Amino acid sequence: MNPPNEDMKHIDEFLKTALRREEAPPGFAEGILARVEQQPTVKPKEEHVPWFHLFSRPLVRWAAFATVFASLIAGSIHYRNVRREQAKGEAAKQQLMLALHIAGSKLQLARSKVNGIQTSQPDHERETNRSRSKS
Amino acid sequence: MRNVNRKSLLSVFLLLVSPFLRAQEIKLPAEVEKLSATAKEIVEVKMDGPMLRWASKFLSAEDPDEQKAAKLVQNLKSIYVRNFEFDKENAYSSTEVDSLRSQFGPPVWSRVVGVRSERDGENVDVYFKLENEKMAGIVIIAAERRELTFVNIVGPIEVDQLADLGGEFGIPRLKTKPSSSNPLAKVEKGDHK
Amino acid sequence: MAERYSATEQGENPGLGFADIVRQHQAMVFSIAQHFLTDRSAAEELAQDVFLQLHATLPTLKSEDHVKFWLRKVTAHRCIDYQRRRRVSQISLEDAPEQVASTHSGDLFLEKRVRQLIATLPEKPRMVVILRYQEDMSPEDIAVALAMPLATVKSHLQRSLAMLREKMTRTIGEVVI
Repeated sequence: MNPPNEDMKHIDEFLKTALRREEAPPGFAEGILARVEQQPTVKPKEEHVPWFHLFSRPLVRWAAFATVFASLIAGSIHYRNVRREQAKGEAAKQQLMLALHIAGSKLQLARSKVNGIQTSQPDHERETNRSRSKS
Repeated sequence: MRNVNRKSLLSVFLLLVSPFLRAQEIKLPAEVEKLSATAKEIVEVKMDGPMLRWASKFLSAEDPDEQKAAKLVQNLKSIYVRNFEFDKENAYSSTEVDSLRSQFGPPVWSRVVGVRSERDGENVDVYFKLENEKMAGIVIIAAERRELTFVNIVGPIEVDQLADLGGEFGIPRLKTKPSSSNPLAKVEKGDHK
Repeated sequence: MAERYSATEQGENPGLGFADIVRQHQAMVFSIAQHFLTDRSAAEELAQDVFLQLHATLPTLKSEDHVKFWLRKVTAHRCIDYQRRRRVSQISLEDAPEQVASTHSGDLFLEKRVRQLIATLPEKPRMVVILRYQEDMSPEDIAVALAMPLATVKSHLQRSLAMLREKMTRTIGEVVI
């Protein structure tokens, strides 16, 4: 029996011999080429890319940021305009109420004066005034 | 109750002044305009029809006063209010008031109230404008010791709406006597202004 | 070689690059499959599939060495997967019937016998042996190709060789190897 090392060397070589390459069957390459030609243009597998993977592209990311930013600006401008319009409307309303209040209070003043005078007038004088006005 | 406005007229709502004045043919006399220089506080409100309609959109449906105001202004053509408040009495004379009053006479205007009170120095004139026997406008000139007010409302105002104007806004509604046919009040002794 | 391969090269004959690669490496791919599967038709079909896959992947491969490594790796993995799917009943090495030694045994017989013994190895040790002795790949390269720890590769080699040696000794009687 050979020494182990020798044994291993022999095994190695024996295995190399036993496992030497064999020729492919005849027409093997041609068969492959024919299949390749028959196939439609081989495209890389289309991976199903989740929609949010678009944002891995810098340009898309920047475009998204720009869009969001512009929308925020537009939205805030619109909101500001609406608020401004509302403020104007409120101011106009206040002015209106003020004007009506003043007018109403002066009318009340007039009315109170008239009522006060009429109250203070003796009855006969009131009758005289009425008849004068009729004539 | 009076809202205080500064001389700088921060709360002035100047809209369509010229056309407004032309349409109403009411000009505050120069003597009255000059009172702005001496008045402590001034209120001026000018609102034409479109502005009245727009402002009324902001009146709250839940506030009773604002609801009544909305109903009142819906057919009005304009509102003009000018109010001067002074630090002291006799800041203005009868000249200014007479110049105001002189613009309102027949046939366009009828004075329905003319009250002079020397006792408390409060004089009020109320003029109606009638068109086709219907109310078309009202002018109020109130001359008080330290205050002069001019109000011109153009449009179809019903008498009851006038009463609401006075009865609301926090001022107690006065009990009215059974209507006398002639609301013209007797002038008391001594013209104040 | 640093040049990048492409499925269609620029030039007069667009398909030339790939065809060359097929002809250059068909024996290697076929032999790995054949030695592993011991089924000629299955090996041929598997080898064709490997080259078809190469055709699609070729633009990504950077060099001739890269192509070669890729072919070995993909062939090995396909063989192992194929074997597992087939679930060919394996006779473990220990159970492999011992052939009676024949004084008239020739190399061919021995080689055939060795290949039969190799075929009885489990998939991964089997492929390790094939890549080691057919392709002369280092244990490190085998570890990378099979995605296996180096120690595992060495262990497979050692154990498989020991078993093969024992079986072969019985087969041929005297240990000549």
